[in-house]
Amino acid sequence: MKIVHKVIAANILDIVLIALIGFFAYSNVNLVLTKLHFAEIADDLNASFLEMRLSEKNYFLYEDASALGAIQQQAKHSLQALEDSQEDITRAIGKQNFMRLKDDLIRYQQAISQTPAAGPRKQLIQEKVREAGHELRDFSERITRLERSKVNQIISESRKWLFTALCIFLLSAIGVTHFLSLNVVKSFKKIVKIAHSISEGNFSRVDPPIPDDELGAALRAINSMSDELKNREEQIVQSKKLASIGILTAGVAHELGNPLNNISMMAQAYQELYNSLSIDERLGYMKKIEDETERIQEIVKNLLDFSKPKKAKLREVDLNGVLKKTLKLVQNMIVVSNVNLEVHLTPRLPAVYIDEHQIQEVLINLMTNAVQACSPGDNISVDTGPGTVESMVKVEVADTGKGIPAHFLPNIFDPFFTTKGASGTGLGLSVSYGIVKNHGGTIEVHSEEGKGTIFILELPIRRLQEETHERS
Amino acid sequence: MNGHRIMVIDDENIVGKMIKAVLEQDGYLVETFLNASPALARLKEEKFDVVITDLKMKGVDGMEVLHTVKSESPQTKVIMITAFASLDAAIEAMRGKVDDFFPKPLKIKDLKACIERLLSAG
Repeated sequence: MKIVHKVIAANILDIVLIALIGFFAYSNVNLVLTKLHFAEIADDLNASFLEMRLSEKNYFLYEDASALGAIQQQAKHSLQALEDSQEDITRAIGKQNFMRLKDDLIRYQQAISQTPAAGPRKQLIQEKVREAGHELRDFSERITRLERSKVNQIISESRKWLFTALCIFLLSAIGVTHFLSLNVVKSFKKIVKIAHSISEGNFSRVDPPIPDDELGAALRAINSMSDELKNREEQIVQSKKLASIGILTAGVAHELGNPLNNISMMAQAYQELYNSLSIDERLGYMKKIEDETERIQEIVKNLLDFSKPKKAKLREVDLNGVLKKTLKLVQNMIVVSNVNLEVHLTPRLPAVYIDEHQIQEVLINLMTNAVQACSPGDNISVDTGPGTVESMVKVEVADTGKGIPAHFLPNIFDPFFTTKGASGTGLGLSVSYGIVKNHGGTIEVHSEEGKGTIFILELPIRRLQEETHERS
Repeated sequence: MNGHRIMVIDDENIVGKMIKAVLEQDGYLVETFLNASPALARLKEEKFDVVITDLKMKGVDGMEVLHTVKSESPQTKVIMITAFASLDAAIEAMRGKVDDFFPKPLKIKDLKACIERLLSAG
């Protein structure tokens, strides 16, 4: 369910709730109005009944003959009033009660009208009239009282219900707000986190499950953006590589220029001096020309080696042993540069699964870089030890040389990137990076300008490689 | 008898050897150097008529040779050899009052003609 649907559902629920409360309150108010209206009518009737009974008292007690007419008049008037308001009264107290009230009144009226002027019969009728009058008044008062108490009850019940509904409404409002802040804010935080990771150059996709709501839509958009960025980056790298080929070509042309010039000059001198040269000298010229062509062949071969990396021949090797061999190769360079070397090899490390020669190339590269970064008197340290994860073994090559400017760090593994000017090819670290990556290892660099640089190389031990193979 | 002194500085051994072989046939006295520092030291001891130097060399380069020679011995001619790739630098070198320049691959006949021209103008 989408967030917007959840919010709409919650809102609809609230609106329905408000409508119900409103309707309930409206119908209650109507009911109360009806009851109050009845109370008004009932008051009038009661007053009329009271007057009727006063006249009745006058008639029977003081034998006031005119009072009889007044009673009849009042009874008729009351009946008329009762019938006029039949609808309102029925609505308030129900048809049964209305009928009873009316019957009582009619009975009273009949009793009055049957009253003779005097005699024992008058006495009898008097009782009957009194009884009917009493009953009428009693019933009407009872009903009026009942209706008033009903009004009170309705109002107090309404109050209770309104309060409950208000509570439910408030709770649901709080619930919706809480849900929004929790869900929406959480979603935004997730999106922000992913966006940050992308801005740091990590173009990984968001792992499923991706929810089927707005967050999901945003995550899918981020995924496609990430893919697109990755594509663009690959295109940029590709065009950078093409640009670099231009630089490489210039370098190769320069490399080839010298032997070509030598061949050309020897061929010219050979022709110029032909007559004065002995047979052996002539052969010497030809031999040298051959040597120079071999030099060109060597350059071309190296270039091909670079563009077509050899397949790694992986086997279990003791990394400390590889390091010792490598150190022998670079020892002379270190001594000549007047740099101090410290070596700390952790004994009994698990064997790494590597192509010894390729890793040696990487190590030579790192150490050569370290030496070149150092001034006489600086220190280089080479350490081995367990890796950051159990399946890795690490080598650290650190120097106290000039360091790498921070803005160069992101590029130092790029092909043809060099900080050494014309003397660097910009291939050493990019080739090293490729080799380490092929081995399933990692290489990272930390550097501070003026303080030094540390390269951390981690190589996998056999177990990891086998697992990877089994899986793939 | 020619007897003009010519110095060749180039870190490629064969360049000096070939120039020397050809020019000696014409009676020039040729000395070759693989880098500029000993060559400049030698220039302090002996006056040379022509210095032929490569532009791009490790350590002291051709430009520095040119400036040193021209300031210490203005009448000495300097011919610059340069790889085709650094032609722009060669033009810059011309502005630095080089007497002539040749791109690689070097034509020895042209070089010879140039030396003769420079010496007769001399």
